[in-house]
Amino acid sequence: MPDTSQPTIHSDAPADIGWRVVLPKVLPLVALFIFAVLLPLTDNEYWALITTRAAIYWVLVAGLNLVVGYAGQLAIGYVALLTLGAYTTSVLAAGNVLPPLPTFVALAIAAVAGAVFGVVVGLPALRLRTFYFAMATLGFATIVTQVALAWEGVTGGGIGISGPEMPAPFNTAWGFLYLCLALAAMVTWATSNVAKSRFGRALIAVRDADVAAEANGISKPKLFVTIFLFSGAVAAVAGGLFASLQTYITPDAFTFELSLLFFIAVLIGGRGSILGPLIGTIILTILPEIAAPLAAWSTFLYAALLLIIVLAMPGGIAALLDFKNRKPLQSDRAIKPRPTLLGEILKRSGAGRPMTLKGIVLTFGGVRAIDGLDLNIQPGQVHGLIGPNGSGKTTTLNVISGYYAPQEGEVRLNSPLARGAPETRAGHGIARTFQTPRIVGEASVIDNVMIGGWIEGQSSFVETLMSLPRHRQDERSLEAAARLALRAVGLEELADVRADRLQHSELRFVEIARALMLKPAFLLLDEPAAGLATDEIERLGQLIKEISRQGTGVLLVEHHADLIFDICDEVTVLNLGRVLANGTPAEIRVHKEVISAYLGA
Amino acid sequence: MLASILASGLAVGAIYALIGITYNTMFATSRVMSFTAGQLGMLGGVFGSLFMLRLGWPPVIGLLASLGACALIGVVTEIVAVRPVLKSLEQHLYVLSTLALALMIQQVTAIEWSTEPQPFPKLFGIGSGVFDEKFWLPLVACGLTIAGLELLYRKTLVGRAFLAVAEDNFAARALGLPERNLRIASYALAGAIGGLAGFAGGQLLLAFFANGPLLNFYGFVPVALGGLGNNRGAVIGGLALGVFQQAANFLVGGIFSSVAVFVLFIVVLLAAPQGLFGAPAARRV
Amino acid sequence: MPISVPEPLIDIRGLEAGYGKIRVLHGIDLAIGPGEVVALLGPNGGGKTTLLRAVSGLLPWTGAVRFAGQDLRGWGPQETARAGLVHVIEGHRVFTQQSVTDNLLLAAYDLPRGERMARVEEALNFFPEIAEKRHQRGGALSGGQQQMLTVAQGLVRRPRLLMLDEPSAGLSPVLVDRVLAVVAKLRANGTAVLLVEQLIEKALAAADRVCALAQGRVVLQAATTEADLPRRLERAYFGRDHATALHA
Repeated sequence: MPDTSQPTIHSDAPADIGWRVVLPKVLPLVALFIFAVLLPLTDNEYWALITTRAAIYWVLVAGLNLVVGYAGQLAIGYVALLTLGAYTTSVLAAGNVLPPLPTFVALAIAAVAGAVFGVVVGLPALRLRTFYFAMATLGFATIVTQVALAWEGVTGGGIGISGPEMPAPFNTAWGFLYLCLALAAMVTWATSNVAKSRFGRALIAVRDADVAAEANGISKPKLFVTIFLFSGAVAAVAGGLFASLQTYITPDAFTFELSLLFFIAVLIGGRGSILGPLIGTIILTILPEIAAPLAAWSTFLYAALLLIIVLAMPGGIAALLDFKNRKPLQSDRAIKPRPTLLGEILKRSGAGRPMTLKGIVLTFGGVRAIDGLDLNIQPGQVHGLIGPNGSGKTTTLNVISGYYAPQEGEVRLNSPLARGAPETRAGHGIARTFQTPRIVGEASVIDNVMIGGWIEGQSSFVETLMSLPRHRQDERSLEAAARLALRAVGLEELADVRADRLQHSELRFVEIARALMLKPAFLLLDEPAAGLATDEIERLGQLIKEISRQGTGVLLVEHHADLIFDICDEVTVLNLGRVLANGTPAEIRVHKEVISAYLGA
Repeated sequence: MLASILASGLAVGAIYALIGITYNTMFATSRVMSFTAGQLGMLGGVFGSLFMLRLGWPPVIGLLASLGACALIGVVTEIVAVRPVLKSLEQHLYVLSTLALALMIQQVTAIEWSTEPQPFPKLFGIGSGVFDEKFWLPLVACGLTIAGLELLYRKTLVGRAFLAVAEDNFAARALGLPERNLRIASYALAGAIGGLAGFAGGQLLLAFFANGPLLNFYGFVPVALGGLGNNRGAVIGGLALGVFQQAANFLVGGIFSSVAVFVLFIVVLLAAPQGLFGAPAARRV
Repeated sequence: MPISVPEPLIDIRGLEAGYGKIRVLHGIDLAIGPGEVVALLGPNGGGKTTLLRAVSGLLPWTGAVRFAGQDLRGWGPQETARAGLVHVIEGHRVFTQQSVTDNLLLAAYDLPRGERMARVEEALNFFPEIAEKRHQRGGALSGGQQQMLTVAQGLVRRPRLLMLDEPSAGLSPVLVDRVLAVVAKLRANGTAVLLVEQLIEKALAAADRVCALAQGRVVLQAATTEADLPRRLERAYFGRDHATALHA
């Protein structure tokens, strides 16, 4: 079959196609908003109250959604930031400490305080995992309530304090409702922008494939600080609004149940979605109201919902609404790479320098996994790395990509690379794939590939929040590059499919496409042929060979001896962490020691 | 004052230690930290008060029934919240499933039992002042539990099978050990230990539905600091935590002690997560 | 029913297995007769360990496996071990905190209480060097002794088919011969053995038959008496004939 594909970039999709994609996503949000805006027609202030509460909760949950739903951090004590915001705003507006401030100024100061404490609550997430982090946030929530109780001079202790009064025109039930709705609409818009940006993709990459995230240059600390600043600020603003809605607050108003409502709203809604958690928040806010006899059981219902979600419906409401991914995929599809496109992707100027490993020693608890390894990888060549199990092949890749810091020796690429520090490797043009594909199953294929372009992004977080031109430019160029990379590996038809629906062999090619986003000077492939069918291995071989012909140095760890001998320019054999032999495939093929070590003959 | 600080501190500390052992016992066979650990402690007190005060059963029957009921809750935890998520690749799911179950337990208790703390009966009426039974009962319970567990792990094949599953689950399965039944048994055992904590501490903590989250947190602190799965660490850490907390309570007030415990918890975990957990993190790549 | 051909002890047909989405075995056919020693060879990643894990019930599989006349579908490791199909996993994973005797007693977990110690002694008889250390912790043994201990754990069950996954990995040549001597002894007693072995010469010496796996398929089955096996094996792995040092 002739390959008719032209090496052109589909730069800008026509505007109407963009709308056709965007509209179904935006429509439910707009409908909800219009419904809420029209509520005054009912002239029922009770419903104004409920809707205002839902809007305030959503302001907090929208931020929390980035922490829980996108970054996957189990922050179960977020009520602490609501409490903090509520008290800060109330105290400043009441003038307990300073002269009374206007409510909106107090609210702004509360936002700053919330941002700071958001980081304080959140940063343990960098070191503590799952249960530990959940416990830490739970502990923090307890502390904040106790401080509010004890600090009587400022907070009024158990007696409480008046909430801030809103200036006109927000001092009526309907005026306040519109204020809260406007804020809710703003955070929805802002978090949607983040979700559809390199930041949103980086967050889910950290959540589901943190090793791959690092390899693509994503720095978890920086990313998390940004997210915790934002979500802490909006949570505190929600707290100020909450205090105003309550008109009077005591520590009792900030129960752990409320914290769970926020947390569970995100999970019921579904991770990695904006609409789902919004619906979740509305349901959880309204549920006890429309079923008054159930009010006492509301926490039980939340918990039961959570259990059902975890056990039976891990995708939450968002998965229910994801009609697109229910369509069956073509079952007899084949991966047909187009190596001719590689020239356009890997436009590199001139030949680079080789990568050299010198005297690498790496020990694990006294065992020398790598024992004085020297290696030279030339640009434009495929370099095979073979050897028996435990000979140090993957470990070598991990030293190069910085997951392991060797005790001795160095990896040089022009200059020595930092020991450890995997997130620095992408900046040096070193890309890699993994033995088990590290893919975000819940994200689309193209989103996965776009993760590879993280360091190419120019837009800052604030620009992204407000969808400023640089953000839109980033998105356009990343998407075009990702589609091109997918065409090159032969998966463009699956671009918008959720990645966990793909076959194993396809995921291997998705990883290669993601690696190509970096325009890598060096590409490290860890057993890319494992689990592939014979014809797929052949196409993989051609693709790898063609990648190297564009000037990229490829380091290939592989068990399939025929693939190694077919496409490598040079082969290094490792045994017990040392180089056993080095040479052309033909030389290695007849090397006596190699055959006995590798084949066990 | 020192005597009363020590008496109440060691008593509360023994309860924390027992909850810590509850966490460890569940963790050993399943690698799961369950939010139901604290609820089991809460239920030990509630069941004790229910059986002995409301239903008027004699203490021995009340104790056995409470431990049995808590063991059953332990088994339910395994079946409902642990087994279904063990196979999942996502390791955080157990946090959510056990949290959900713990909340359901707490809410049912609040509605069906009471939202107010209810009294717990005196069992022996021996001792007074700092030697009141409410102070020494938890310590005795803690001592008996440790001795019992030592006996189980050192002298019986079932106990050794627990240890085998805890050390190397895969090798234990390959050897043909009934890994699933051992896990269920360990959850029943953990349930009974948690129940014993609540029962022995009933006169101190009362039969109160909201004890669960507190016990969850303060029972977890010694486990996290002393080393996951390490009962000796849990006991030493628990007793130290109890005494520290009571001393701070008496000397500078309760708020300070909560803040101090929390800050200590976070700082130690951040400074040396591996050092205190024992084994370093597994290979990621 | 005529009993012309003795029924194999284990009969594996069209076995497929893997990890999650990754299918490692693509239709394995293999039969082993009672008392037969079969060496399982092949390059890394070929599927040897996966085959053992699937058969012993540690991994889910599809296809058909019959052992001693019983269908193994749905059996877990506990059931297969009880039926006499015993799997000694790779990597000498003993329980380091427990004594040698306790390690062996654990292997006797579902035997009648009165029989356990006798079985432990029986297994220790094969390995005098660890019998001496029966009160030491598993973690205090050397790697080779730990490997012997895991084999002894398997023997406690009095297996009809013993599957050994790389028992010689990381052992000195002397110890490899010790382990393989036990295999020979077992064969003499009528126990079938499926042996994963990297060292071809050792495997050929110890086994009646070899079965080579590459990329999840059986690429060669032959009696060890057949001529020119190393070369045929190599050809089987690489899929084509090359002049190599092995027969240059």
